[in-house]
Amino acid sequence: MFNDLDPILHSQLRLSIVSILMTTGEANFSFIKDTTKAAAGNISIQINKLQEAGYINVVKSFKNNYPNTTIALTSKGREAFETYVNDLKKYINPK
Amino acid sequence: MDKNNLTPEESLLLISKTIEETKQRFQENGHILVLWGSITFLVFFLQYFFSLTGLYKKFDIIWTCILFPLGAIYTFVYVRGKEKKNNIPKTILGRIIGTMGWVVGMNIMILALVFKDHLGNAMAPIFLILFALQIIIVGVSIKFKPLIIGGILLNLIGFGTFLVHPKYYGFSLMLGSLVGFIIPGILLNIAKKKENV
Repeated sequence: MFNDLDPILHSQLRLSIVSILMTTGEANFSFIKDTTKAAAGNISIQINKLQEAGYINVVKSFKNNYPNTTIALTSKGREAFETYVNDLKKYINPK
Repeated sequence: MDKNNLTPEESLLLISKTIEETKQRFQENGHILVLWGSITFLVFFLQYFFSLTGLYKKFDIIWTCILFPLGAIYTFVYVRGKEKKNNIPKTILGRIIGTMGWVVGMNIMILALVFKDHLGNAMAPIFLILFALQIIIVGVSIKFKPLIIGGILLNLIGFGTFLVHPKYYGFSLMLGSLVGFIIPGILLNIAKKKENV
C-alpha cells in the first residue's frame, strides 16, 4: 500500500533515530538509546542500515577512556527525511 | 522496537513525538536566567546602597569581582552537570547559544574591569544592550515570547539609559535585570513546570 515510501526510513526505530538527528544534527549513541528506549543491539543494526544508505555518518572515538559513538545526519539523510515527510502528507491528504 | 508496517498517520505521529521528546531534553528551565538577573540586580542594588552610605569605592569592585565570577563558575558547573546527567549532545544551536553567552559575559567582564574609565558613563547602557542582544537571540532560538519581549524591553531600557542622568543608571540596570532576566526566567520556569505536569 505504501510502496512509494522510502523503505529505509519506513521503519519505526530508523525513523525515530533520523527524527532525533533532524532535531539535534548529531547525537551520541547513549542519547539515542535513552530517547528511543530501544535495545542497544537493535539500535546498532538500524544505525548500520542508515549508514549503508548514506543517511548518517558514524564516528567512533573515546571520551574519558569510554567508547563514544557519534552519529550525524548527512545532507542525503536530511533530503530523504524531507521527501519522506512530503510523501506521507500526500498519502494523508491526496489531492 | 521495530515495525515496518507503519501507516502514514503513525509515521507522522512517531516523528512529531520523537522530535518533541528530543526537544524536551534540551529545554532550559529558566533557572540560569533568574540566577543572572538576581546577581545583576543584587550587584547594582548593593552599589547603589554603598553609594548612599559613602562606601561605594571600597565595595564596588569587590561585588563585581566576587558575584559575577561566582555566577560564571556556577553556570559552567550547572550546564556541564546537566549535559552529563541527561547525556545531552552538543547541537549547533546549543553551541551558538553557549558560545555567545560566554563571549558576551567575558566581554562585559573585560569592559567592566579593564576599560571602565574609557567607557565612562556609556558603560551601563552598553551592558544593557549587550545583555539584550543575548536575551533576544536565546528567546528567538527557543521560541519563547516572554523572553523575546523581555529582550526587546531590555534593549529599549539600554537606549533609554543614555538619555537619563548617570546617577539613575543603577535603577536602569536593576529594572533591566528584572524585565530582561528575572521575569522571563520565572515565566519560562512556570511554562516548563506546566508542560511536565
